[in-house]
Amino acid sequence: MSNEKIPLSRRQFIASTALGAAAAATGTIAMPSVLRAAGTPIKIGVLQPVTGPLSYSGTQGQLGAMLAIEEINAAGGIKALGGAHLDPVTGDAQSTPAGGTAEVEKMNAAGVSCIVGGYASGICLATTQAAARYDLPYVVDVGVADNIMTRGLKNTFRFGPGFGVIANAAIDNLIAINDGAGKPAKTVMIVHEDSLFGAGLAKLLNAKLPEKGFQVLETIAHPTPTRDFNTIVLKIKAQNPDLVIPANYYNEYVLLARTMQQQHVKPKGIYSVLGGAASSYKFVKEFPEAANGIMDCNHWFNPLSDKAQALKKKVEAKGQFFTYEVYLNYASIGLVADALERAASADRAKLTEALASSTWAGHIMPYGPTKFVDGQNQGAAPCGTQVQGNDIKVILPAKFADAKPKFPFT
Amino acid sequence: MRSFVPIAIVVAALAVVPLLVHSNVVLNFLVVALMIALAGQGWNILGGYGGQYSFGHAIFFGTGAYVTAILQVKFGVNAWLAFGTGIAAGAVVGVVVGWLAFRAGLRGSYFALVTLAFAEVLRILASVTPITGAGVGTLLKLDLRFAALQFESRAVFYWLILALVAVALIVTYAVERSRFGAWLTAVRENEDAARALGVDAVAVKLGAMVISGAITAAAGCFYSQYFLFVDSHIAYGAWISVEALLTPIIGGAGTIFGPLVGALVVKALGEGALLVTGQAPGLDLVVFGIVLIAVVGLAPRGLVGLRAQLAARWRRARAGEASRG
Repeated sequence: MSNEKIPLSRRQFIASTALGAAAAATGTIAMPSVLRAAGTPIKIGVLQPVTGPLSYSGTQGQLGAMLAIEEINAAGGIKALGGAHLDPVTGDAQSTPAGGTAEVEKMNAAGVSCIVGGYASGICLATTQAAARYDLPYVVDVGVADNIMTRGLKNTFRFGPGFGVIANAAIDNLIAINDGAGKPAKTVMIVHEDSLFGAGLAKLLNAKLPEKGFQVLETIAHPTPTRDFNTIVLKIKAQNPDLVIPANYYNEYVLLARTMQQQHVKPKGIYSVLGGAASSYKFVKEFPEAANGIMDCNHWFNPLSDKAQALKKKVEAKGQFFTYEVYLNYASIGLVADALERAASADRAKLTEALASSTWAGHIMPYGPTKFVDGQNQGAAPCGTQVQGNDIKVILPAKFADAKPKFPFT
Repeated sequence: MRSFVPIAIVVAALAVVPLLVHSNVVLNFLVVALMIALAGQGWNILGGYGGQYSFGHAIFFGTGAYVTAILQVKFGVNAWLAFGTGIAAGAVVGVVVGWLAFRAGLRGSYFALVTLAFAEVLRILASVTPITGAGVGTLLKLDLRFAALQFESRAVFYWLILALVAVALIVTYAVERSRFGAWLTAVRENEDAARALGVDAVAVKLGAMVISGAITAAAGCFYSQYFLFVDSHIAYGAWISVEALLTPIIGGAGTIFGPLVGALVVKALGEGALLVTGQAPGLDLVVFGIVLIAVVGLAPRGLVGLRAQLAARWRRARAGEASRG
C-alpha cells in the first residue's frame, strides 16, 4: 500500500508555514494541527453513477451529498480545522465498476481525504478496493451487498445497513405485523427480478418463511427490464395468495402493482423488501391508488427528527423527491464531517481511525448507537413502512414509528 | 505489413509509458483501453478477417472472466492456471457456438443474431446458476501477490495486458500471413466462390472462431484479475459485445492495428469529451457520440484505412490535374 500524502500547493504551504511561525511566536504552538490546516479546504470525493442506467439514483445521491456539504460549510466548516470548508470533488461512475475505479484514481490524484458514494454494490466492490490501494477512507452510501464489508478492507465503512440485516429485519417485521393482526396471512407468492438482490432475497425468503409458518405457493423470477406483468399477475390471481412479496426495481415494481390493480388482484397485503417503488414518494404521488397499503422494509429516515423533516422540505422545494439516496448520502457526509472534527486532521490514516471509532449521534437516520465493527455500523437498521393516505408512514420499529400498520389492507 | 517490426515498435513504445508516466489515472485509462483493444482484437479475427460479424462477443469475454474467477474462488486453483484455463475455455466455447452456428449454415445477420442470443442466454444462466454466484456475482479476494496474479502497482497490470495485446497482434499477423488467413479472407469476400475453389469454409470459420474466442476470453480473464468482481451483467452484458466490435470497426476491421488504434482513440475521445464538458453529467457522452459519427463518416474503412483513403484521393486529384494539363 502506498502512503500518498495529500498534495499541498506552494501557496498553501507558504500560508500554513507563515501561520505556524506566527503561532510559535505568539505561544500558541500547542495546537499545531489546527493551525497547519487552518482554512485549507478539505477535498471530499463524491462518487455517484450520474450517467447510465443508474443515473437517477446517482443524481439523487449526489444531491444529498452536496446538500450536506453546503450545510456544513454554511455552519462554519470543520471547526477543529479552523473552519476549513469541505470541497466536493464530484465523479461519475457511469454506472459501471470500471467507470467507478477510474474516478477513484482521479480523486486520489486530486488529493481527496475521503470518498463517499458508489451507490450500487457492484460499483462499491470495485471502488472500495481501488481506494484501499491508497489507504483512502471510503464511506459506502447505499451498496447493500454483505460482501462489501467482509473483505477485511480497513478503509471501507458503511453507515447504513447491509442486505443480511435488512432481510432479517424484514422477516421479523412481517411476523410481527401478521401476529399483531391475528395471523391472517398464511400463503405467500414471491415475484423477483433475476439479478443481484432479487434472486438472493427470494432464496432467503424461501428458506426462512416456511420455518415461520408461511407457505410459499410459488416463486416467479423475471428479468430487468420486464414490460408486461399480465401473465405473472394472472398466475397470482390463480393462486390467490394472502401476501405478494415483490423484489424488483422501480419500473417493474410500479408495473406489477398497476397490473394487479387493473386485474383487481387484491391480496391481504403487498409486502416488499427493499421494494423498488414501495417506499418511493414518486410512486405514491403518481399512482396513489396502486400504492395505497403497500408495506416495505427499506432504508428510511427518522420521521421524528426535525432535521430530517427540514431536509425533506428543502429537497422537495428543489422539485426533487426525498429518496433514500438523498438522505443516506447526506448522512454519510455528516459521518465524515464528525470524524474530521474528532480527528482534527484531514490526514487519511487519522480520518480512518476517527471513522472506525465513531459514536456519531444526532443524525437523521433511525439507527441505534453508532458503532463500527469491521467498517459496518452495528446500529444501522431498516424501517418498516406503509403507504397510508397518500403518504409513506413508518410502522416499525415502534421507537421511530409515526403510524400503526394497517393489515390486512383489503 | 511485411514483418514483425511495426508490431515490435508499437509494443516497445507502449511498454515504456509507465517509466515516463507515473500517474495511476493515466495508467488505469491505458489498462482499460488495452483490455478493450484485446477484446476487439479477438473480434477482428472473426469479423474483420473472416467477415463473420458477431454481436455477442460477450460470450467469450464472460466465459474467460467467470472461469478465471470461479476456478480460484470455488476450487482454489492457482490464479495463473485459472487465467490460462479461462483462455482455453473461450476457445472451447468458440468451437461449440461456431459448430452450432456454422453447421446450420448461418451467415451475415443470422449469425450476428445467433451470437447475440447466445450471449443473452449465457447472461440469464449466469444470473441464476449457483456456481457463478447467481445474481450476487463472484468476488475475488484482494491478495496483492504475484502468485495470486494481483499487483500493487498498476504498471505491472499494464505490462501484463500489453503483453497479451502483443501476443494477439502477433497471432493476427501470423493469421494474415498464413494460408489459413488467405482462406479466411476468401470466405469473407465470397464464401460460395471460396467453397468452389476447395476451401472448407466451415472449418476455416470454426478455426477463426476458436482464435477469436481465446483472445477475447483473455480480455475477460484480465478483467476478473484487475477488478476482482464479476457478475452476469459485466460478463455477458451487451456493453462488451458493443465495445469489442466498435473498436475494430472504428480503428479498421481486418487490419492488424485497427482494434488497438480504435480502442485508444475511442477511450481517449471519451476522456477528452469529459474534460471539455467538465462536470455536466452525460454531456461528454453527447460530445463523444457526435465525434464518433464524424470519425465513422469521414473514415468508413476505419482510422487505419483513412491514410490509404487520403493517399488514394490525393493520387486521383493529381491524376485529374495531369489529364487536364
